[in-house]
Amino acid sequence: MNWVTIGLSAGTLLTMAVIFSYVLGWANKTFYVETDPTVEAVMDALPGANCGGCGYVGCYEYAEAVGLNAESVSKCVVGGENCAKALAEIMGVEVEARFPYRPVVHCSATYEDRLKKSDYKGEKRCRAANLVSDIQGCTYGCLGFGDCENACDYDAIHVVEGLAVVNYEKCVGCAACTKACPRNIISMVPFKAERILAVTCSNKDSGKDVKDVCTVGCIGCKACTKASSLITIQDNLAVLDYDLYSSDGMEGLVKAVEKCPRKGLVFIGKPSPEDMEAVKSEDLPDLVKPDFKTTVDQTGWRG
Amino acid sequence: MSYLIDIVLIALSAALINNFVLYYFVGICPFIGVSRKVEMAFGMGCAVTFVISIAAIMSWTITTFVLMPGAPLSAWVAGFFVSSESAAKIDLTILSYIVYIFAIASSVQFVEMYVRKFFPLLYKSFGVFLPLITTNCAILFACLKIMSNIVGVDDPADAWDLGRSLTLAVFGGVGFTIAISIMAGIREELELCDIPKPFKGAAITLITGGILAMAFMGFTGVDSGLKKAMTPAPSIEMKAPQNTAQ
Repeated sequence: MNWVTIGLSAGTLLTMAVIFSYVLGWANKTFYVETDPTVEAVMDALPGANCGGCGYVGCYEYAEAVGLNAESVSKCVVGGENCAKALAEIMGVEVEARFPYRPVVHCSATYEDRLKKSDYKGEKRCRAANLVSDIQGCTYGCLGFGDCENACDYDAIHVVEGLAVVNYEKCVGCAACTKACPRNIISMVPFKAERILAVTCSNKDSGKDVKDVCTVGCIGCKACTKASSLITIQDNLAVLDYDLYSSDGMEGLVKAVEKCPRKGLVFIGKPSPEDMEAVKSEDLPDLVKPDFKTTVDQTGWRG
Repeated sequence: MSYLIDIVLIALSAALINNFVLYYFVGICPFIGVSRKVEMAFGMGCAVTFVISIAAIMSWTITTFVLMPGAPLSAWVAGFFVSSESAAKIDLTILSYIVYIFAIASSVQFVEMYVRKFFPLLYKSFGVFLPLITTNCAILFACLKIMSNIVGVDDPADAWDLGRSLTLAVFGGVGFTIAISIMAGIREELELCDIPKPFKGAAITLITGGILAMAFMGFTGVDSGLKKAMTPAPSIEMKAPQNTAQ
């Protein structure tokens, strides 16, 4: 190593820097692409994590959708509320209310309610049991082997008397259970209130067939549709329109719950004061905090 | 003729036998990261091939004229400013890494701007992956391999010319495209498989990559056999061995 080498090295790098910056600067001007200033502003306000949480490929795609196609400004998961506010300011719109999405199990039949059961000795998994017919009469309802329970990382869904029940205090809305269910009876629903109505049946067969296989399934009697306009019958099954769901329609819905002969419409989520009153005398267990013992899969590893 | 054989061998070696990903294990990051869908993997492969070719041209030029011992441009500068005796001892190969990274990063930037202007759809489908090519070690590896074949040879006449360097780069890129496309095809099928929970995700992908690499080891030795077959046999008159069984 001598001064000539050092000098030449410095000279080489400097020359390259000059050449490359000139070329890139020229290219930047020549290949300049006109972009919408709104999109640029939105892009600057976004965190730039490119996580894809909003449903778009990256931040730029989301910025384009917001700036050009009036996409909702509150979709950025990383940026959260502040980001939504900043975007709303740029676009001149109001931040619309966001509701947490939580799973709803569209079945309410416990073991006793299910008819035409037969002995199943196969692998104790819903995915396996779903391949076999005649485990129970209903081909739509919960199988009760707890694939959803295994899929849950938050100890928030459990099989109680053969039926998957969500613990909404622990649930974070990751939707792992909806993907795990082979019968697709768990769906994600916007919780517009802490206590929300849900149709707890998925059976699309005619009323007579449902009565044959289940004591609580929806028979498509349309009693609820007369009481509330939010409920429609699609394929012999009551469907609740959550887009229209609000506290205004509550009266009709409560009436519908009372009218339902099969008790297939139930309120889920936070228990009402009356419910708390009713079970006050009973000894309720304290809420179990997730710890090592409860979060580790009891069923063990299935290789 | 021998030049043509050389080119064919370099091409075959870069694409299959000494595949960048499956033999040297460089460029693993995009190999794992962008191999979820076949179209995307193929696009990535094409982008890498393009960038690797540009980077090879640049690195060959820089190595031959500036970096290698006694490089003409550096020697001329040294001789002009200092003395002719110092010019003879010029060796700037220590700069190779920094200079190549510099060249690769700039060419990726250039390609990005070019693609954005003239192929907006391609630019959109690449998304964040195009800038990621900058840190793709396969490209740096190609540059360093070219350098070792210019600087590391005993006889200056054996040093690679631009044609050989470009062949290595283009077919190295083709080999990368082949490897990543195969991988993406396998991974698309893997989506439908019941994989044990501990192996899900990156683990099974790495295992698949390892098995794929083992499969590619089957190409080992093809080059030497091909070289033997393509080189005209030395014309020595051989006497047929006497048949003793008679």
